[in-house]
Amino acid sequence: MPENKKTFDALVVGGGIAGQEAALSLANMDYKVLLVEKELSIGGKMIQLSKVFPTLDCAACITTPKMSETARHPNIQLLLNTDIMEITKNNGLFNVNLTIQPTYVNPDLCTGCQLCEWACPVVIVDKYNNNMVGQKAISIAFSLANPKVAAIDMNHCIHCKKCEKVCEPKAIDYEMQPKNINIETKTVIIATGFNLFKGENKPQYGFKKFPNVIDAMQMDRLIAPTRPYNAVLRPSDGKVPDKIAYVLCTGSRDSSLENAIGCGAECSNNPICSQICCMYSIKQAQLLMGALPLADITIYYMDIRAFGKGYEEFFQQSKGMGVNFIKGKVAKINQKDDNSGDLILRYEDVTTGALKEANHDLVVLSVGVLPNNGITKVFTDEKLELDNQGFIKSIDELVSPSLTSIDGVFVAGTAAGPKDIPDSILSAGSAASEAASYINSTL
Amino acid sequence: MPHINPDFADEIKKYGADDFNLCFNCGNCTAVCSLSTNDESFPREMIRYSTLGLEDEIKSSLKPWLCYYCGECSTDCPRQANPGELMMSLRRWLTAQYDWTGLSGLLYKHIGAYIGGMLVLLAGVIGFTNFSGFDREQVIHYGHLFEMLSIAGVFAAILLPNIIHMWYLTIVKPKVKPSLKVYAQSTGDLFVHMFTQKRFLGCEDTRENRTRWILHFILVLSYLSLLFTTVFLNWFSTTSKFVIWLGYFESAAIFIITTVFMSMRFRKVDTMHKHSQPSDWFFVIWLFLMGITSFAVRLLIDLNNLDSQFWMYTLHLTVLAQWALIIVPFGKWTHFLYRSFAMYFQKILELNRTVKRP
Repeated sequence: MPENKKTFDALVVGGGIAGQEAALSLANMDYKVLLVEKELSIGGKMIQLSKVFPTLDCAACITTPKMSETARHPNIQLLLNTDIMEITKNNGLFNVNLTIQPTYVNPDLCTGCQLCEWACPVVIVDKYNNNMVGQKAISIAFSLANPKVAAIDMNHCIHCKKCEKVCEPKAIDYEMQPKNINIETKTVIIATGFNLFKGENKPQYGFKKFPNVIDAMQMDRLIAPTRPYNAVLRPSDGKVPDKIAYVLCTGSRDSSLENAIGCGAECSNNPICSQICCMYSIKQAQLLMGALPLADITIYYMDIRAFGKGYEEFFQQSKGMGVNFIKGKVAKINQKDDNSGDLILRYEDVTTGALKEANHDLVVLSVGVLPNNGITKVFTDEKLELDNQGFIKSIDELVSPSLTSIDGVFVAGTAAGPKDIPDSILSAGSAASEAASYINSTL
Repeated sequence: MPHINPDFADEIKKYGADDFNLCFNCGNCTAVCSLSTNDESFPREMIRYSTLGLEDEIKSSLKPWLCYYCGECSTDCPRQANPGELMMSLRRWLTAQYDWTGLSGLLYKHIGAYIGGMLVLLAGVIGFTNFSGFDREQVIHYGHLFEMLSIAGVFAAILLPNIIHMWYLTIVKPKVKPSLKVYAQSTGDLFVHMFTQKRFLGCEDTRENRTRWILHFILVLSYLSLLFTTVFLNWFSTTSKFVIWLGYFESAAIFIITTVFMSMRFRKVDTMHKHSQPSDWFFVIWLFLMGITSFAVRLLIDLNNLDSQFWMYTLHLTVLAQWALIIVPFGKWTHFLYRSFAMYFQKILELNRTVKRP
C-alpha cells in the first residue's frame, strides 16, 4: 500500500459472495475497486457451506473460482484483516480511514507452505469449523483460504519462535504493528452480510447446555467435503446419529426471545422470516440421507417456505426420499436422564392437535439470520439508516433496492435483509450497476 | 353445522383478551404448557375456536377451566398473542354464559354497572342502619341474619342453577351420558380441587409458583373458615375465647394475603398479574376489605368501643352486602365453584372414557 492518498471508484465493504460479486462487476467495467474484509480470507459464510440448494452443487466449487478471480483481478485491491474506522463525505468523495490489523506474517513473503503450522506447538479452536476441531496458533485461516497466507493468533502465541525458525522466506514478523491508511473513493458498497442467530439465546432449546444440540452451521461443516472428522458424529460421545431432528425457525419469526430468562442485551425479538432456514435444512436432510442411509430425519416446521425457483420440487423430493415433516414448533428440548445424551423434544402436532414428546439423538437448530450492522457507526457525518429489524435500509425497496439513505452508498446482499445465495448475487449485481451509473452521472 | 359468530373476537376482547388473532398456529403454547396433556391439549385449540368464533365448542369445553394461568404460554408465544390471557378471558366469558340472569356479563363488560351496583348496596346499608336508629344490637342481629339469608338465597337462586347450567352445557348437551357410578366415583375430585387448588402445582415448579399456591391455599381455607366462624359460630356475638381468636387469625390471614396479591397485581410481577381486569381488582380489594373490617369490628367489640365507632360496623356490613350480592354471585368469586366443578366434570369425562373403552 503506497503512503500517498489513493483514490478508488468504489470501496466494497465485505468479502463474502455479495461483496465479491459487486467488486468483480465493477472491476470488469474497468472501475478501480478496493475490497475490504475484516477476516483473514475472503469467502464469507458461503465458503463454510457444504452444498447449495436446490441444485446440491458443492458450495466451495462454486465460490472458490470467484474468490480466485476477485483476488487476482488487476482492478481489485484486497485489504484483509482490516477494519474501517471512519467514512466521511467531502465534496462528493468519501474519505475513508482504515486500520490494517497485524497478522505477524508478511503476506507478500508468505508462500502458504504451512511449515510454520506443523512447527507450532499451540493448539487453538478452529473457528472455520465452528470450534469442533483445533488448529495451530499460527495457521492459514482454512484450507480453501484466499489469499493463502498464514497469520498468528497473538492472544495464544507463546513466542517460542519455532515458526520463525522453519519459515524459509523469513515472513514472520513479531513486531508488526497496526497500520492506519487513508483513501478516497467515489462510492461505497456495503456487503457486510449477516450474523447467524446464537442458539444459546433461545435457552428453551438447551444449546451449549446439552452437547447433542448443535446449530445448522455446525451440521453444514459436518457434511462438507472439507469436514473435520470425515464422518457425521454427534458431539457427546462420537456416535453416528440415527435419529436427527431439525428445529426450524430457531430465532426467526419469534417475538418471545426477549422474555427468555437470562436474555442479555444482545438478544432481541426477531419477528421476520430468515428465508433460508427451510431450504438449508431440507438440503442438509437430503445430504444426510446420503451420508447416513439408516438415519431417520425429522424436520419440525411452522410453515415450509420453498419460494424460489426449483425450491418446491426440492422440498417434495426430500419428502419422497423419506424425510419426515412435522408441523409444530418445538417448545422445549430436554436431555434424557439416562446418560445416553439423547434429547426429548416437546411439541404439538398441529395437524392432529396432539401434544407429543419425541426422542432424538441429535438435534440441529436451524438458526436464523440477524443483521450485522456495525458498519453504520463509521459513517460519522451522514447517518446510514437501518430498517426496523436492524438491516441497512433500502430507501427505494421496490424500484432501486440498492439505494441507501446516503447518496453514493449502496447495499448488496444480506446486509439489506435475509437472502439466499442467488438473491444475494442478484442484489450485488444491482448494487454494482447502481454504483457505476452513480459514478458516471454525478462525478 | 357449527354455529360461527363472526363478532366473537370483539366480544371476548371486552372480557380482557389481547389480540389473539395474531396467532399463526405453531402450537408452541400447547407444547410449553405444563398442564396440557395428549388427551386434553390446550390452549391452541381454544385460540383456534376463538379466532373462528365457534362459540358452542367453547361453551361445551372444560379446557378453559383446566388452565391455571401458569403464564408460560404467553411468555413463550412467538407472536405475542397472549394465549394465557385469552384463556382467562374465556373463563370470564364462560362465567357469563353459565349465569342465567345475564348480570355477570353485564358487570364484566361495563364497569359503570359494577360501580352502580356497589353504590346501590352502599345506599341500602346506610338506609337500613339509619332506619334501625343505629341500635347496635339490632343492627348486628339483622346483619347476621342477612349474612345467612344472602348465602342461602344466592346459592339457591343463582349459584346452583348456574352449576346445573354448566353441567348441562358440558355433560348433558354433548351427550356424554355417564353412569351414576361414575358421578359418585368422581366426587372426591370435586372436594380435593375445591379446597386445595391442587392442579396449580402442575405449573412449572418454581419458588414463586409454590409460594403463590401456599398463599392461595391459606387464603381459601381462611375465607371458608371465617365464613363458618361468623355465620355458624356467630363470631361477633360469641363469648368463646377460642372462637374469638380463631376469627382474628382467619381475618388477619385474609387481609395479609390479599395485600400480597394486590401488590403482585400492582407490580405486575409475572405474566398472570400483568393483565388485571376491574373484576380482578374488585375481587381482591373486597376480600381484603372483608378481612380487615371484620377484624376491626371484633377488635372494637373486644375494646368495648364499638358504640362510639359504629361506622366501622356499617362499613363492614356494606362490604359484606356488596361481596355477597355482587361479587359472589356475579363476580370473580364464582371461579371457586366453576373450577372445582370443572375438575369434577373432567374426572367424569375421563372415567366415562375408560369405562366406555372396550
